[in-house]
Order: sequence, then C-alpha cells, then structure tokens
Amino acid sequence: MSDAQTIAVEVVGIEQVTPLIKHFKLAPLAGGDLPVFSGGSHIIVVMPGADRVHKNPYSLLGSPQQLDTYEIGVRRMEESRGGSHYMHDRVAIGSRLEIAHPVNLFGLDKIARKHVLIAGGIGITPMLAQLEDLHGGGVPYELHYSVRSAEHAAFLQRLRRREGARLHMYYDSEGQTIGFESLLATQPLGTHVYVCGPTGMIDHVIATARSCGWPGSHVHWEQFSAPPVGDAFEVFLARARISVHVPPDRSLLESIEAAGVEVPYLCRGGVCGFCHTRVLELDGDLLHNDHFLSAAEQARGNSIMPCVSRAHCKRLVLDL
Amino acid sequence: MLVTGIKSKPVYAPLQADTGGRYHLMLGSGVGAAPLLRVIAEMRSAAVPSLQYTQVLYAPDGGAAEAADDQSGATAAVAGFRAAALGGVRTFRGTPALLGEFRSTLERSLMGTRLYVAGPESFIGLAMKIALEFNLNKDEIRAEECGTLARRVYCIHCRATTEQVRTNIVSCVGCARWLLVRDHYSRRLAAYMGVMVDAEAPGELPPLKQVFL
Repeated sequence: MSDAQTIAVEVVGIEQVTPLIKHFKLAPLAGGDLPVFSGGSHIIVVMPGADRVHKNPYSLLGSPQQLDTYEIGVRRMEESRGGSHYMHDRVAIGSRLEIAHPVNLFGLDKIARKHVLIAGGIGITPMLAQLEDLHGGGVPYELHYSVRSAEHAAFLQRLRRREGARLHMYYDSEGQTIGFESLLATQPLGTHVYVCGPTGMIDHVIATARSCGWPGSHVHWEQFSAPPVGDAFEVFLARARISVHVPPDRSLLESIEAAGVEVPYLCRGGVCGFCHTRVLELDGDLLHNDHFLSAAEQARGNSIMPCVSRAHCKRLVLDL
Repeated sequence: MLVTGIKSKPVYAPLQADTGGRYHLMLGSGVGAAPLLRVIAEMRSAAVPSLQYTQVLYAPDGGAAEAADDQSGATAAVAGFRAAALGGVRTFRGTPALLGEFRSTLERSLMGTRLYVAGPESFIGLAMKIALEFNLNKDEIRAEECGTLARRVYCIHCRATTEQVRTNIVSCVGCARWLLVRDHYSRRLAAYMGVMVDAEAPGELPPLKQVFL
C-alpha cells in the first residue's frame, strides 16, 4: 500500500460520545460511494501533522450497507504519539483527510453456528459493523460489552435499540466482570468467539478458551498496537544502501518511509504481517511488539515487524 | 482425464489423543475400533481427566462386506470400550443408525469437543460431512482410515451415488452409464466424482480392475 492509493475524504460529522471517544463521519470528496467493506474492517487514516504525518488504523463502525460515509471512533490515548490527539484536537467539520482502502483482518466466520462477541471499551468499534452483518442473518449471536462506567459506554443507546436482549453490559464501576469461564464452557459446537479490547482482556479470553478446549480456529481477536516510544537507533537498508536514524518517538516503519523507502503494510498495528522484514545483521536485541510472529519466531531474531517493533542495538541491517 | 494426483483426495493420519479438548467423541466402524482403543490407552497414560468425558459410538458391522469374517474382533473391541470406564459406549447395527445418533449428539455437544473417526474411508467421509454442517474445523477432527478402500462414487451426470465401489470403472446405480472413478473428492457430498468413461467413443471401455480393496 502506498499513499497513491488513498481516498480523499472530508469530515462531515463529529460527536463526542464519551469523555474519551469521538465519533467521526467521513465522506468522499469525490462524492458517490466509498469502497464496499465487511464488518470488522479497518482503514488507515493519514493525518498531516505539523512535524510529521500520522497514519493510524481505525475500525469502521458504520453499517457495511451504508457507503456514502465511513464512521470511525477514536479514543484519546493518554500516551499518544500524536495521532489520536490530532484527531481529537485538530480535526473539525470540514477537515480533509486521506484514508486507505478498508482491509478486514477481523472478519466473522461465514459458516459459524453461533457468534459470541466480547468488547472492552473502544474495542466495541469493529463489532458495531460486525453486528450489522449479523442482523437478519438467522445465526444466533450475543454481545458482551465491558466498560469502566456508564459514561464510558460508547454507542450504548444504539446497541440497546438494535440488540435488545443480545446485549450484555458489564460496568467496572459496579464491580461487574464478564465470567469468561462460564461463558466459554457452555457454548454449542460451531460457536466462534471474537474479542477486541485491552491486552489483558484479549489474553484472558484466549487463555480461557484454550482451557475450555476451544481450538484456535474458533477464537478471533484484534488489537492494534500503537508503536511504543523507545531509544533511538540506526538502521541500514541493504538494498537501498542507505542509513536511517530512528528517533525515540518515531516508529521504524515511519522512519524508513520518511527516508523515501516504501514498505508494504495493511494495519500499521502489528497485526497483519505485511511489513514483515528480514533482519540481515544485528549486534543487539530486537524489541518485538507485534501480535503476528509467534514467540518462537520472535526469539529467532531474524525478522521484524517495523510498524511497531524496535531494536536496542548499535547496528541493524534490514533486507529493504 | 486426471485420475490421480488430485489435491482434493483426503489424506489421513494415525489418530492421536488431543488432550487440549475437554470432551472427546469417538466414531468407529468395524476394524476402526483398534485405533480408538489405542487413543483411549494414550489418554489413560496421559493421566488427564479425559476418559470420563469420552463417548464412543461404534458400528461393529462396519463395511458390510468384512463383517462376516471379523465378528470376534468386533466383540473384543466392544468389550475393550466397556472396560475403559468411558463416559458412554453405544453400539449400532450399520452406519446409518450410528450417523443418526452422531448428529443428535453433535446437537447437544459443547465447544471443546474433539472428534475422532476411524474406519473405512466412506464411513469417515459420511461422518465428516455431518461434522462440517456443525462447523467443526480441521483442528477439531482427527480421522484414521482402516478397512476397505471401497468408495462412494457420485455420478456427475445423474447425481446418484453408487456405494461400495471397488473397481476403476463402475456402472452407475442411477443411470447405468459407465463411470470412471476419479480421485476428485467432494467433502460436501462425501463422495468421489464419477464421469462417463466412454463419452467420446461409446462402448469403448478400459479393462475392469479391482483397485479399491
């Protein structure tokens, strides 16, 4: 993917839906419909910041039936590298942004006999679109939505209206937690579980599903990581024959792109595996932050996901 | 007309216990009892609480043809299942009765169930067809082929299925066309595809050979 393939959009709606989450509606500048997508898809939003361009993945939360606008929900991150703050503070009605075509790394299983959706906080966003895909489909489903407190329950009215008894709410403030064990131990054969939320919640669901005997093919999850801040380091790109400096607050991928070298990507959040790059030389340690490589692959140290991972070294040579 | 080297031909592997599962459902036909008893022994030595959550559905007569000469083996197998202190052992006369119970068992089953199937390929195919309807994936099913290689053959012309086919070509039970039995397998139909063998030159048939024994 490169910026040449982006779509120019205008912000046509903004709503503060919780103290931390803003809901944006984006319409194509060229008019007409945006590309077709399925529930669970995300887009990359390209934000022209003052000192650098931010490219963040956001799930599409609107109905896949409605293509005149895309809807995204952006949570203001406490330790933002700029992207979420840009969306919250700099974007207004009429602002113009670029977006990449939707990609689905979190699609519903088409032949499941039942779907169990588990959302924590902002993790509700991909599920809002997945639910649209489930309406009228005749396949049973239920949504378990956990939030800090009532004021943080984004899109709750919409969910209550459309999902009725299929919606199960859990408020941390009331001491309510999702009983993963009892939930996952009692599902009929052919059920698929989907989880999106904080790392702890995702890890808990994956571990509980495994202990209940669920096979991996029935467990789906998505979490985009923001590239963490780290020490600066140098990288040498073997094919381009250039040396690139990676500053503390800029990701390896962003630094490589800024040097004029394109790396294929779909998510920029450590999930899709598209930016998987071979490591040719290293005199220190790789700091893996992705969800794509297995622990064994990470330990091997011969490849890296430059979108979220860094290195602690004097010299890193990549096959780029 | 490609007959062999087709990727849809199922590949089977020896059964192994999957102790990652919470419940274990075993289907056996005829000589398929042996691999199941082997898995049960494996579970016992793994010392996980799997056996009490294990159910066996077994049809001793299996592929009808071999039933006559293997009656004693089947009786011993049933005794072996009964001695293993499993959650349940049920025997059936014939594959259709077993598959009927299999379907209603799946209706009641929970996520965490692993399926083990052992028997002739046609038996495995019919069981897999039902498992597929319940959205069981590859990582929930294990199958070991043993016993006859006789095939179910689906006539692509009249859509009838001819059972127990042991020969390279067969006269279709539906339309009497001579069909070439291909390796092209349909999981949905649980059958190999049969195509008219003398369509180009009517009456010219290759020699009839026993190949699926």
